[in-house]
Amino acid sequence: MVETKAAVRETIEPIIFLRDIQKSFGGIHALSGISFDLLPGEIHALVGENGAGKSTLIKIISGAYTPDSGIIELDGKQYRDFTTNQARALGVGIVYQEFTLLPELSVAENIFLAEQPLHSYGLIDMKERYEKTVELLTRLGAGGHISPNTLVKNLTVGEQQLVEIAKALATDARILIMDEPSAVLPSNDMERLFNVIRTLRAEGRSIIYISHRLSEIFELADRVTVLKDGQTMATKYVADTYHGELVRLMVGRELTDMYPPHNNTIGNVLLEVKDLYIEGTVSDINFQVHEGEVLGLAGLGGSGRTTVARSLVGLAKILSGKVLYLGKPVPSTPAAAAEEGLVLIPEDRKAYGLVLNQSMRFNIVLPNLRQLSLRGILRGNLEKTAVHESVDTLKIKPAKPEITTENLSGGNQQKVVVAKWLLSKPRVVIFDEPTRGIDVGAKAEIYQHIRDLTNKGVGVVMASSDLPELIGMSDRILVFHEGRIAGEISREEVTEEKIMQLATGIVTSDAVA
Amino acid sequence: MKTMTNGQVANPSFWQKVRVFVKSNVSILLIYGLILVVGIGTAVLSENFRQFSNLVSLFRQSIVLGLLSIGQSMVVLTGGMDMSVAMTARIVNLVVATFFNANSIDALILPMLLLGGVIGAIIGAFNGFLVTRTHANPFIITFGVASVLRGIGLAISNVPIRGVPSGYLKIYDAKVAGIPVNVIVMLLIWLSAYIFTTRTRPGRALFAVGGSEHVARFSAIRVNKTLITAYVISGVFAALGGMFLLARSGVGDPSAAEGLDFQSVVAVAMGGISLYGGKGSIFGALGGVILLGLLSNVFNILQIDVYYQQLLLGLIVLVAVAAYRSPRSL
Repeated sequence: MVETKAAVRETIEPIIFLRDIQKSFGGIHALSGISFDLLPGEIHALVGENGAGKSTLIKIISGAYTPDSGIIELDGKQYRDFTTNQARALGVGIVYQEFTLLPELSVAENIFLAEQPLHSYGLIDMKERYEKTVELLTRLGAGGHISPNTLVKNLTVGEQQLVEIAKALATDARILIMDEPSAVLPSNDMERLFNVIRTLRAEGRSIIYISHRLSEIFELADRVTVLKDGQTMATKYVADTYHGELVRLMVGRELTDMYPPHNNTIGNVLLEVKDLYIEGTVSDINFQVHEGEVLGLAGLGGSGRTTVARSLVGLAKILSGKVLYLGKPVPSTPAAAAEEGLVLIPEDRKAYGLVLNQSMRFNIVLPNLRQLSLRGILRGNLEKTAVHESVDTLKIKPAKPEITTENLSGGNQQKVVVAKWLLSKPRVVIFDEPTRGIDVGAKAEIYQHIRDLTNKGVGVVMASSDLPELIGMSDRILVFHEGRIAGEISREEVTEEKIMQLATGIVTSDAVA
Repeated sequence: MKTMTNGQVANPSFWQKVRVFVKSNVSILLIYGLILVVGIGTAVLSENFRQFSNLVSLFRQSIVLGLLSIGQSMVVLTGGMDMSVAMTARIVNLVVATFFNANSIDALILPMLLLGGVIGAIIGAFNGFLVTRTHANPFIITFGVASVLRGIGLAISNVPIRGVPSGYLKIYDAKVAGIPVNVIVMLLIWLSAYIFTTRTRPGRALFAVGGSEHVARFSAIRVNKTLITAYVISGVFAALGGMFLLARSGVGDPSAAEGLDFQSVVAVAMGGISLYGGKGSIFGALGGVILLGLLSNVFNILQIDVYYQQLLLGLIVLVAVAAYRSPRSL
C-alpha cells in the first residue's frame, strides 16, 4: 500500500503548499523562511528540536497565526491572510497534545460539542448523535469498546485520544494535525493509534504527525520534514533516510553517544524501601538506592511506577511498610524531604514543575529560598549569581532570567525544572519522566546532568516510559506490573524485550532471570 | 504561546529596555499615572486641594483602607480573598472599646493593642484553617465568617461605646514636625510589606501558591502553612485597622468599617494584583489605596453628589476587573 502510493505521489498536486513563510514575535524569529507541502493521503512527519518552529507552523496551517510574509497555497489557490474559518472550511483538524475534552460530559457530547445534530424543531437529536458517534468510533476501530454514553473521565488516556481524533473527524477533516499523540500514551496503546492513523490515510486523508520519537516516524510516516531554528532543513522520503541523518539535521551534529558512560563506583545505601504498601494500588515493594547509581523504574501507565516515585518524598498515603532515607524514616512532605536532600523532579512540567506565569528566576529560586537568604531576607546578589550559574550550567535559552517560563520551549522548560533542584545540592534525586516531550539535544544534555550527579555520589531514581533512555542510563531496572515489582534487570542483561515481557505480565521474574 | 527560537538576543537597546519595563509594569504605571492625572487635575481646579495639610490628611484618611488592603493583598496573592476584613476590624474596634468603657485608663492601652492583634490573628487562623481543610471557595468561607462576626458585633453593642482614654487618641493625633506620626509609621509598614512579599521565603511562597498549588507543593513550599499565614496576616492588619478607627472617632462604633471589605478588594485589584492569584505587587496595592482615597477627597472638594460617587466607584471596579483578564480566558 505504501509503495503504490509513493509511486504515484510525484504527479499528485499538494493539498497544502507553504512557501517561504516568515513569522516573528517581538523581534524573535519563530519561522524564518519555511517551505512545506502536504500531499493527499500521506503521513507527513514533522520533526525538530523544541523551539525549531513546529508549533508555529501548525498554528499557521490552522489559521491561528497570520504569517509576516510568504505564500500559502491550498488546492491551488493562494492566500495571504489565512483565517481559522478558512482552515476549517478546507478541513484542517487538530488533535492537541493536551486534550481538549470535557471530562464530565459523555463521549458523544464531546465529539459533537460545537455542532450538535438537531431535530428540525431545534432540539438536539440524541439518537442521531449516538449513531454518528458509533459510526465514527467504529471507523477508528473502537466501536466495540467505547460507548457513546460513557463519561470521558472514565476513559483511559488512550481511549480519550481516540475520542479526540473522532472529534476532529466529525467535522470531516481532510488534513489532520497530530501534535505528539504518542507522548501521552502507554506503549501498549501505540500500535492501536498507528493503525488508526493508517486507516485515515487509506481513506485519503493527510496527516501531519509531530513526534520526538524517531523510531515512530520510521514505522509510520511516508515523508518527513526536519525543522531547525525556524527553517526547513530537508523534506525526505522516510525510505531514503535513516535515524542518524535525521538527528544530524535536527541538532546540526551527529549525536554519537546520547548516553554518557556509567560511573563504576557504587557506594552505600541512601534510600531503602521495605514492604511498601500504598492504598489500593501498590504492594510488596522492596528496593534500595545506592550512592552513585541510577535505578530505573519501568512499567506501563498505571503500573504503580509514578506512585512509588512520589511515595519516596511523602506524596502518597503509605499504609504499611517503610521508606528509610539515610537510615531514618523519610520525611512526610516534599518540603521536609527537600531540606534533607531528597528531591523529586515530577512528571508533567506544566502541571507540577513550573509556575508558568512567573519568570525563570522565580522558578529556579523557589525551592532554594532558604540557602539564598540571610537572616530571613532574600539576597539579590546571591539570587542573581545562583540563577546565572543555573542558566549557564544547563544552557537554558534564551538566557534571560526574567523571561516568563510559559514562553520557553518544552526542552528549556524542563531544563528550568531540573535547574531548580540541582541548585539545592540534593543527595537523592527522583526523576519522573525526565525527558518527556523534549528534543534530542536537550535530552542528551539532561542525561549528562544525571550522570554528573551520580559521579558526585548522588543516588538517582528514574521512572520513565522511554525504554531506550531507561536502558541507556540505568544501572538496574525495576519493572512494575499491576502495582508490584515484576522483576529486576541488571544493566548487563537488559533489553527492551525483557522489560516489556515483565511489564505486560507475559513473563514472571524467575523466567527472565 | 510563542516559542523562542534563538538564544541570546544581543545587548538590548535603550528603547527595548524601556519597552520591556513598561510591558512588565503596565498596571503600576497605569495606576500611578492615573493618580498623577487626577491629582494634578484637581490641584488646578481647587485651591483647597493644593494645601499641604490637605495632602497630609489625604494620606491619613487612607490609613485604615491601607491596613486592610495590605492584608487583603497577601490573601489575594495566594489566589484567595478575605471578605471578613471589615467585620474583623469592627469586632476588634468594639471589643477594645468595651474594655476601655469599663476601665478608662492609659495603662490599658498596650494590653488592648495586643489583645486586638490576637483577636485578629485568631479570626485569620480560623479562616485559614477552613480554607485549607475544606478547599471550598475562600470568598464564600470568609463571607460566612464575616456574617457571623457581624452578628457578634451587634450582640456586643448597637450604640456607640464611650470611655476611650485620652492617651489612646494620640495614635491619631500625634505629630512630628507637622506630619502625623501615623502617616510616617504607615509608610514604613507599606515598605515592610513590600520587602516581605518580594524578599522573604514566606512572601515568595504566596506567589507560588497563587500561581499553582501543585507546583508549589512539588517545590518544597508548605502550602497549608502559607495559606494560613496569609489569612493570619490579613486578620492582624484588619485588627490594626479597627483599632486605628477607634483612635480616630474616639468611640467604639457599631457601624465601623462598613464596606471596607469590598473597597480593599477594589484597591488591590486596581493596583494590578491578579484576583486569580500569583501576580502583582504591594506597590500597586498602595497605588490603589491612594487612588481611592484621592477620589473620595476629590468628590468631597468638588461637592459631587454621593450617588455619583457610588456610581463612579462601581464603574472603576468593573474597568479594573476587565483590564486584568482571567488566565483561563482565551
